[in-house]
Amino acid sequence: MTLETFAFWILAAYTLFASYFVVTARNLFRCAVGLAGTLIGVAGLYLLMEATFLSSIQIAVYVGGVVVLVVFAVLMVEDVTQKEFLRSPLSRCLLASVVAELLLAVVGLTMLSQGFGPNRPTFASADVREIGRALLSTQAGGFVLPFEVISLVLIAALVGAITVAGKPGDDYEKPEED
Amino acid sequence: MHPGLEHYLILSALIFSFGVYGMLTRRNLVAMLLCVELVLNAAALNFVAFHRFLFKGDAAGTVFPILIIAVAAAEAAVALAIVIALFRHRRNLDVRAADTLKG
Repeated sequence: MTLETFAFWILAAYTLFASYFVVTARNLFRCAVGLAGTLIGVAGLYLLMEATFLSSIQIAVYVGGVVVLVVFAVLMVEDVTQKEFLRSPLSRCLLASVVAELLLAVVGLTMLSQGFGPNRPTFASADVREIGRALLSTQAGGFVLPFEVISLVLIAALVGAITVAGKPGDDYEKPEED
Repeated sequence: MHPGLEHYLILSALIFSFGVYGMLTRRNLVAMLLCVELVLNAAALNFVAFHRFLFKGDAAGTVFPILIIAVAAAEAAVALAIVIALFRHRRNLDVRAADTLKG
């Protein structure tokens, strides 16, 4: 058993446990912590596949940005120390687990029936230089249009979030307590 | 056993189905958002696995996860703004109570 194999199984078990924690934890704050664990585990799997740049983006944007945002929102809207939020009835849980297992079976069987060639990578992963060139290339295989569109999406999301979360008629110069 | 493409695909399928299960059972808006993030991560993991094992390190396999991460960040920002606005009006986040727009 090589070190890579060992690392894969440890990371896989950790990621699965953390994502299970996200769907079952009774407390919203613990859910967010579980999500952070899942994201870190997936970042480790990216490292294992030599996608180093993507791994660092995952940590910086997801764990450092999205999860922190979620935690802030949770702290603003819930009393995390006591409240256990509503759970679905057992029948709905059973139905949902059947649906999820069916999806898993379909996806898994489709993937396994394909027989994807060799199991060991023979080429190096794309490094930062290649990713940067691909992102800004206007030739075939370039991604300059998605890159520009995603920047528009981010701007629109930021402005929209401020508009939706701000109080109507709110004066941002002199915020008042409610 | 050396981890190959199938291992990563099965792992991501498992994370995906966890996310789907959570989306169907959770009744809290923030918890549903967290489950959506799980699903998005499973998709990104698939992209990187194919990039690594099947497509010879073509940069497209890492560009798409970057786009996925950006979309997830935008989605989280908008969804949490809606959560805060909803909480301001209703004082709770149960999705079944928030059906005012239903016809």
